[in-house]
Amino acid sequence: MTEAAASSVTTVMRALADPTRRAVLERVARSREISVADLTRGSGVTQGAVSQHLKSLKQAGLVVERAEGRHVYYRAAPEGLEPLVRWMDHYGAFWRERFANLRTLLKEIDP
Amino acid sequence: MTATPEIQDIVLDEIFPHKVETIWRSLTTADLIGRWLMPPEGFAAVEGNDFTFKTRPAGAWDGTIRCRVLEVVPDRRLSYSWKGGDDGNAGYGSRLDTVVTWTLMPVEAGTRVRLVHSGFETPRNDMAYRNMSDGWTKVVQRLDSVSGEA
Repeated sequence: MTEAAASSVTTVMRALADPTRRAVLERVARSREISVADLTRGSGVTQGAVSQHLKSLKQAGLVVERAEGRHVYYRAAPEGLEPLVRWMDHYGAFWRERFANLRTLLKEIDP
Repeated sequence: MTATPEIQDIVLDEIFPHKVETIWRSLTTADLIGRWLMPPEGFAAVEGNDFTFKTRPAGAWDGTIRCRVLEVVPDRRLSYSWKGGDDGNAGYGSRLDTVVTWTLMPVEAGTRVRLVHSGFETPRNDMAYRNMSDGWTKVVQRLDSVSGEA
């Protein structure tokens, strides 16, 4: 795992634990690029709250920002999800192996 | 916000050629659990009961998976929390606060066993990702494959 990915499973999980923040991320992902003002419009959340959510998403590596003049634009960073996907892959493999063990055990105790 | 967030689960769903009662015994008897999953410490199929599994330590985490029995419906449903890890770890040993649920259903060929390991939260919404980049598509496809393989 690369340096950039260090501890980000936790950060990513925590960033995604909040439904409003997930919704912010989904709106960012739907746009090629979007400003805080555009994200706030019609969201039912204050601009300050949207900014806070974007900050957490940025820290988790799920969005990147680009400043242009007085405006800041955000876009989704798909690679930010990779550590979480890898952690889930670990458990996916873990359970598939355990299912195979269970099948073998059942054959032994109930031939 | 109009997008619908979803929680991504790991799901395995298979038919086993054995009676429901036999499988239930394998899922709820400490000795038998030890033979296919890991040897549990303090397991009893009683709601509210705490038990642990010892796994490989990582960083500040001693490798203990802490579980609590959440639901017991004999021959039907067993669910327990599955917590462990440490914030300081990346990848293996990352903090986990998840739930494991077993559902058994009698079918003609034996028993349908469904395992759901839930609590891995990810954004996933088909409508939301219509315009997403190739990279993002790849990640979501991998998420699908994690839950789809069974």
